[in-house]
Amino acid sequence: MFRLDLGDPGTVRLIGRLDGAEAERAVSSFAKLEGSIVADCSELDYISSAGIAVILVTLQRLNQKGHTLRLHPVQPRVGNVFKYAGLAQMLGIE
Amino acid sequence: MLVRRFPRAVDSLPALVAFVREFFAARAIDADQAFDVDLVLEELFTNMVRHAGGSTSEIEVGLDDDGTALTMKLRDEGAEPWDPSQAPVPETDRPIHERRPGGLGIHFIRRLTRDLRFEHLDGTTTVTAVIEMPR
Repeated sequence: MFRLDLGDPGTVRLIGRLDGAEAERAVSSFAKLEGSIVADCSELDYISSAGIAVILVTLQRLNQKGHTLRLHPVQPRVGNVFKYAGLAQMLGIE
Repeated sequence: MLVRRFPRAVDSLPALVAFVREFFAARAIDADQAFDVDLVLEELFTNMVRHAGGSTSEIEVGLDDDGTALTMKLRDEGAEPWDPSQAPVPETDRPIHERRPGGLGIHFIRRLTRDLRFEHLDGTTTVTAVIEMPR
């Protein structure tokens, strides 16, 4: 299961597994995000290329409006997937 | 090899994860090592679901290990030939506004596997992937 929880303004929490099945269902939640966002991914246990695609589209949409998307903190194995995709630096993943 | 068949749908992914956990428990492999297996298996499975267009409603998945590496084998009967090793390499160094998400799954598979083999024989596609997993 995957969940996107809204926090204080400009913050969200990504929780669970963002896999090929959940990513399709999560598109509408990510599409509602506006402004610069910091996403707490400490409880995001897994992500695949389908989840990366949703994050990439969201990042591009926010960047076009002059906003940023930062993922922090991120579990190491999830962070590795962003590194493989060449997206870690632009999402603020160390 | 532990073998099971799964409906050809992305909604089979939770059952695939449960299958991997069952295999890890049976072979006493630390579940912490499951992440890369889940990722490679999902990318191979969803590519078969989306691109191969097989005539059967199920895809067969097998898992095996020899103490140093884990082998996964996916069989798709009645499929069109599909060779993940020939997929184009995504340009992961392009500026963000020029990036396209396509092709990342195969990129992850190549990154995480030691061997990746494709066979298409008598209408059946078999993809075999090997991941290093020393214990």
